[in-house]
Amino acid sequence: MIINGSPRAPRSNSQKYAKIFQAKSPMPTEYFTITKNNHLELCKKMNDFTHVLLVFPLYADSIPVTLLNFLKTLEINSPSQKPKFCIMINCGFIEPNQNDIAVKMIQFFCQSQGYSFGSVLRIGSGEAILTTPFQKLVEWKIKKFSLAITKEKNVSLKVTMPLPKKVFVKASTKYWENYGKKNGITKEQMSIMDIEN
Amino acid sequence: MHLILSDRRIDLSTEDESTYNLIDLSELNITNCVGCFSCWVKTPGKCIIRDDAIKVYPKIAYSDKIIYVSKIKYGGYDTIMKTMLERSIPVQQAFIRLLHGETHHVQRNVALKHAVIIGYGNISDEEKNIFKQLIKRNAKNMCFESYQIIFVKENELEQTVRDVISSWEK
Repeated sequence: MIINGSPRAPRSNSQKYAKIFQAKSPMPTEYFTITKNNHLELCKKMNDFTHVLLVFPLYADSIPVTLLNFLKTLEINSPSQKPKFCIMINCGFIEPNQNDIAVKMIQFFCQSQGYSFGSVLRIGSGEAILTTPFQKLVEWKIKKFSLAITKEKNVSLKVTMPLPKKVFVKASTKYWENYGKKNGITKEQMSIMDIEN
Repeated sequence: MHLILSDRRIDLSTEDESTYNLIDLSELNITNCVGCFSCWVKTPGKCIIRDDAIKVYPKIAYSDKIIYVSKIKYGGYDTIMKTMLERSIPVQQAFIRLLHGETHHVQRNVALKHAVIIGYGNISDEEKNIFKQLIKRNAKNMCFESYQIIFVKENELEQTVRDVISSWEK
């Protein structure tokens, strides 16, 4: 059971990572997104699965509130057969370890609620890496991750762009500049210091 | 500006209200961030969801002393505070910089802050440990020049906030 915990699930990078996982996984998978109204439905569905893979982005240094709210519902509506939880998390920063706190929060949830915890894949530079030649690195790492889950091996994996940080900063600046350009916004406009008015 | 941002009602009626601004998030209408990036690439510095959050994040940005009051859940902020923090992304730019050797977003006009984070609820030692690590990360992304973390039971909350306000006045 793959659960996308991104607030913008249908248009999210998390969805792209989940789809790669589905393509690479030897295990059969089903994909779900968290919406405001489907928490109970997802909790019931969980009875049908041996493993749950949470796929989500880092939000304000921790788990997105979309996922937090779902976990709170799951806490009081737990399935009779508790599956093993795994995590595939991505952040826009180059350091995959910026995802560590969010991982620890999920591990704490599992420990306190009686779920076993399996493998984790931390993705750095996750906003843009799929649009670069480094996409292959992610695909390869997701394949390794999915094989580990299938073989019941608990692994902790990381992947990011293999760039010096200063080069990454330049590349990300170009990425966001182009993102703004598509919306008719210049780099100078994006760089304004004003907040509201 | 001195700001108290709380996820529940706090009665500070005996304190000198001219010295701080108190915001009770539980009384406001604040929906989830939808991750659209508009505040970075379409309407820089402004969220396109025009609910109560747009009155709050500028105040967070401009405050130089701030108290965050939040219930703790799974070692992080519970829903009300976390929702507000996610909606505060307009105070940053999309662009990334190096800060202490790590990549972080460039800040807009955000004042350096002395922050006090008061976490309440029935908090285990492990949750406290996770929360301390979270605040250490927040410090880099939320412009904390210094910070203090205080864990309290809910019935100790108001007195704790009063004590912090008193320390500001000294």
